Parts: sequence; C-alpha cells; structure tokens
Amino acid sequence: MREKVGIGIDVGSTTTKGVVINSAGQILASSIRPTGASANDAAKAVLDEIEEAHGEATEQPVVSTGYGRKLISIADREVTEITCHSLGVHHIFPDVQLVIDVGGQDSKAIRVGSEGRPTDFELNDKCSAGTGRFLEVMARVLDVPIEGLGPLALQSQNPCSISSTCTVFAESEVISQISSGESPEDIAAGIHQSMAGKIASMSKRVGIAAPVVATGGVALNQAFVEYLGKSLGEDISVPQEAQFTGALGAALLSIQ
Amino acid sequence: MASNESKERAYRKLESSSLLQQTMFRYMLEAQAASEEGKLAWVTSGFPVEIPLAMNLGVSYPEQYTAVVGSQKVGPEVCGFAEELGYSQELCSYARAGIGSTDRPDDSPLGGLPEPQVLLACNNICGTVLRWYEAVSKLTGAPVFLLDTPPVQRRQPSHHREYVRTGLEELIDFLGEEFDTSLEEDKLQEVASNSTKAIDLWTKSLEACKHKPSPLNCADRFLAMAPVVSMRGKEHILEYYEALLNEVEGRIQQGMGAIRDEKIRLLWDNIPPWFSIYKFFNGLAKRGVVFPADTYTHAWTGSLEGEDILNRMVDIYSNVYLNRGLRAKVDKMAGLIEEYHLDGFVMFSVRSCKRYSLGQLVSKDLVTERTGVPGVVIEGDMVDSRLFNEAQIETRIDALIEMIE
Repeated sequence: MREKVGIGIDVGSTTTKGVVINSAGQILASSIRPTGASANDAAKAVLDEIEEAHGEATEQPVVSTGYGRKLISIADREVTEITCHSLGVHHIFPDVQLVIDVGGQDSKAIRVGSEGRPTDFELNDKCSAGTGRFLEVMARVLDVPIEGLGPLALQSQNPCSISSTCTVFAESEVISQISSGESPEDIAAGIHQSMAGKIASMSKRVGIAAPVVATGGVALNQAFVEYLGKSLGEDISVPQEAQFTGALGAALLSIQ
Repeated sequence: MASNESKERAYRKLESSSLLQQTMFRYMLEAQAASEEGKLAWVTSGFPVEIPLAMNLGVSYPEQYTAVVGSQKVGPEVCGFAEELGYSQELCSYARAGIGSTDRPDDSPLGGLPEPQVLLACNNICGTVLRWYEAVSKLTGAPVFLLDTPPVQRRQPSHHREYVRTGLEELIDFLGEEFDTSLEEDKLQEVASNSTKAIDLWTKSLEACKHKPSPLNCADRFLAMAPVVSMRGKEHILEYYEALLNEVEGRIQQGMGAIRDEKIRLLWDNIPPWFSIYKFFNGLAKRGVVFPADTYTHAWTGSLEGEDILNRMVDIYSNVYLNRGLRAKVDKMAGLIEEYHLDGFVMFSVRSCKRYSLGQLVSKDLVTERTGVPGVVIEGDMVDSRLFNEAQIETRIDALIEMIE
C-alpha cells in the first residue's frame, strides 16, 4: 500500500518552495526555485521536482500558501502564509511562541498558540524596508553578492548608524557613508542593525515571548539573526528548513 | 423567489434602496435650489445642522459628496486637482477631493456641489475640516464659521459646555446677519423632533443587526446612513427609515440574513474604502463573513428633544465618537462586539483620517484583551485608491478568518 503523503507549495514573491511529507510529518522531498514572472509555472515546476524526487506521482490534494497562493491552478486549497508558517514551525519546535518570518518582500511576526495555530500577527507595512529586498538593494550598492552581505557585516566592530528605514532613502544614506570613507564592513553591519530594529519593533506589537524562531530566506543570514536577537533581547533559533516552513505547514494541512 | 435565491448572489440587495435613491436625489435638487436662492450652507457631518435648517437654509455635505467621488472610482483624479494646487498627498482625501472638485467642478462627478453661501465647520470630527473649508472659502468667497467643540476625555466640565453653547449662540447670530433672518423656537423644535425621529428609526435598524443572521451588512448601512447624515431634520426622510426598518424586521421574521450563508460575524472600525465598498464586503459575504456592526454608522445617535434644545445639542455634538478619547472608543468597540455577538474585528487604518485611525494599534490589543476575540488592522484609504493594496489586505483578513475558524 502506498504511504499517505502531504504536499505543500509556498509561492513567495522571490522564491517558490515545495515539500512532500509523510504522515509523521517528515520531509521526504523538497524543492526551491525562483518564482520569476509566472507563479503558476514556478509552482508546477516545483511540484514536478518534488514528485520526481519522491519517486512517484501522488493523488494527495495540494495546499498552496504565500503571496501567490491564489494564482496557481494546481492547488486544491489555499491557506495564508501566517497560518502555514505557524503550523510549520510549531511542527519543528513544538514550544515555539513567536515566529519571525522575513521573506523577499514581506516580513511577519506571528504569536503561536496551542496546536500551532496563530493567535495574533503583524505584517510589514506597504514598503520594502525590513524585507529581503532591502538587503538586496543594499548589497548592490556595496557591490557584494547578496550571500556575502551577512558575512561582511560580521567582520565589523563598529557598525555605522543607518537612520532611514526607507529602502530608497537608506540607499542614498549608504552611498553618502561610502563617500565619507566608512568601511564596507561597518556599513553592512549598520544595514543589518537598522533592519533588525525595524522588525523587532514590529514583533513587539504582538508581544515578545520565547522561544523565538526566525524563518524565511533572510533567517539564513547570520548577521541579521544576531542583530535581531540583540534587538529583542532573546536567543533566536533558526530551523534547517528555514525557507520551507510555510510549505511544511501547507503540507501538514494537506495530510490532515 | 426563495427557491432561486440559493443560486443567486451571496449578498441580498435591499428593496428599500430605490426609495433611498429617490431620497438622495431630492437632497441634491433641494441643495441646488437653495444655492440658486443664495441660501446654501456647506456643513461637516457632525455639525448641529438643525440650526441652519430651522433658519430655512439648504445644506450640502462635502464629506458625503467626496464619498461619492470615491465610490465613482475617480478619487485619484479629483484628489489630483487639489495636489496640482499644491496640497500634499498626505492631506485627508476628503479634503483633497473637496478642494479639487471646488476648483474644477466641471471635471468632477455631478458637476461638483452647488455653490455655497456659507461654510459651517464643526471640529468634533477633526481639525482638518476648518483648514479645508478655509481653502474652499478662498475659492468660492463664502465665509467660514467654526463651531469649536474641545475633545471630551471623561466627563464634560460645565465651563466646557458653556463654551460650546456660546458657540451655538454665535452661530445663530452669524447666520442671522448673513441671511438677514432669525431663529424661531417653534421651527427649531420641529426640526429637532424630525432629527430625533429619524435617528430613533435608524438606531432600531442598527440594533436589529444583533439578530442572527444579521439583516444588514456593512455596505448596506454605509449607504443607508446617507439621509441621517445629510438630511436629518427633514420630515420626508422618515418615510425611508420606516421602509428600511420594515424591511429589516421582515428579514428577521423570515430568518433571512443580509448575506446568504452567515458563518462569521465581524466588527468594522472606520470609514470604508468607498471605491471598493461592494467588491470588498460582497467578496467576504461569499465566504460567509458578515459585519453586523461598525463604529461609523453608529455615530449618529441620541435624542435632541427636551426643554432646552441648545443644551441637548451641546451634549450630542460634543460627545460624538471621534471627539472622545481612546478609552471611549475601546468601550464602544468592546460593547458592540459583546452586544452583537461578534467573532472578531477589522480595523481599517485610513491614511487620510488621522483622527479616526490614531491609536488603533493600541486599541486593537485592548479590545482583544477585553473581549477575547481577535482583530486585525488593515491599511488603506477611503477615497484615494492608490493607497489601497488589495493583496496585502486580503492576506491579513484571510489570516483573521483562519484564526476564527
């Protein structure tokens, strides 16, 4: 008899993620690729890849989440990323109280209640400050690859002060810091500190309670997680599957 | 046609809406005629309108007009006319649309409002109205009268009441001089009595929404409130509010709700996004979400009857929802959630309306603490659709619904 599986697809603004899980909630296969211009094409490609990696096509309903959750034709049900991240992280860290997810174009703070359901949440306002896009723009200004921005910041002993939280104005501010001779390390550290401060204040609106878990692509950036931890005064855990917790939550709903 | 209804729309249209349209048409014609006679006052929504009405003036409500600008989806264009004059995009979109349409009436819906002879502003709803009317005064030459109603934190002190009462007396003098007329006590009694009757009927329709399923949804109330906002004091609007109440009671008797399949009951806080009012509320109706109460349409309440009408006016118009502190707002929201058996609440943070939106993040937490139900803050605007991001709002409301389910 074929084992029952669950499938979740998280269509984010920057990347699309998919996972197949078994009934114990273990990830059997996963895939991630840029969302690109078509959310639907990206979701289909991710579904093909996880089914191929899993070794067989499945009949299980697909649950979609993420900003593009309503844009894809292969989904049988769609659920917000707030519920999915909450469920996904709770599955990995059953004691979690607060999830901070920072993706390409949004960031969210979610208070997790019993059985992993969200009890309150906050999302960033209509601007890219405090999202992965902010770091991408800053990496370009500093002329380093995005993966290099965090390690560069970790070398700093004396972070610059970046006062603007607006991506556009912060870009001008960074350019003036460069021309006034500040080191790239200190500027990179200031950028992370500024972003962490903005996300920490958003998180405080839902109430800080430990354990705190960070997810999303930006959670893989160690400098960001360190500054966020300092801003919140809490240790922050990052799951190995930091980019897949939304898809995992969706897959858990698929198998229920 | 109950058997066909399940196949029909998730949202039920009110039969009394044709009478509403006729009533509003009459409002426009009367204002036009008053302007031509040189007797038209533009007034703010919370102005003690009974005084100019009793002194035989016609009235137009720029806020009601700018809501029409929003609902006709031309907010960005008409606000743009004011921006071209140098007004900031951060300014209230009612004010921008009001100033823009005054400057360019021929390019605005309905050809703009009829030309005013006086501009009557009461700052019980916000301070921006005074500056807005001053800008309109520059364009039209009509003088501005300000009725100043200082905010009420807890109990209104007696010197504060005397001050507002003096303002009302000055208003009577101002209108008397401008229009060479006087206020007759009998006429004021009659107008105040009409206001009270309309508000009484309106309040009954609002309170009927405590029933499950709710006979009215948010969009219904936001449209049905138009006469009580812009024509209270006129006898003929009673016919409409009787018809509405009749229809509401009929729905209750038949167990018929405003939406086809009511599952979740929410509170709405703030002005609605006029440009998306049907799409927004009807979209949620399809998912079984109804809004039996809101803080906005409940703002026109209270009786003006009594021995001393001016004193009653001081009470009513000083204590409107927006002129009171955060504590009163939290009490009101928590009270509505409990009385109307609501499962959660949506607070619309309106970029334009600082007075209404200030403190929402704090009051959200306090209301949840008091009632135990979850809420969400969404951000946008009432007229300027450039500030309304549908996908972001949808995610927040979807998450609230998932939390309730």
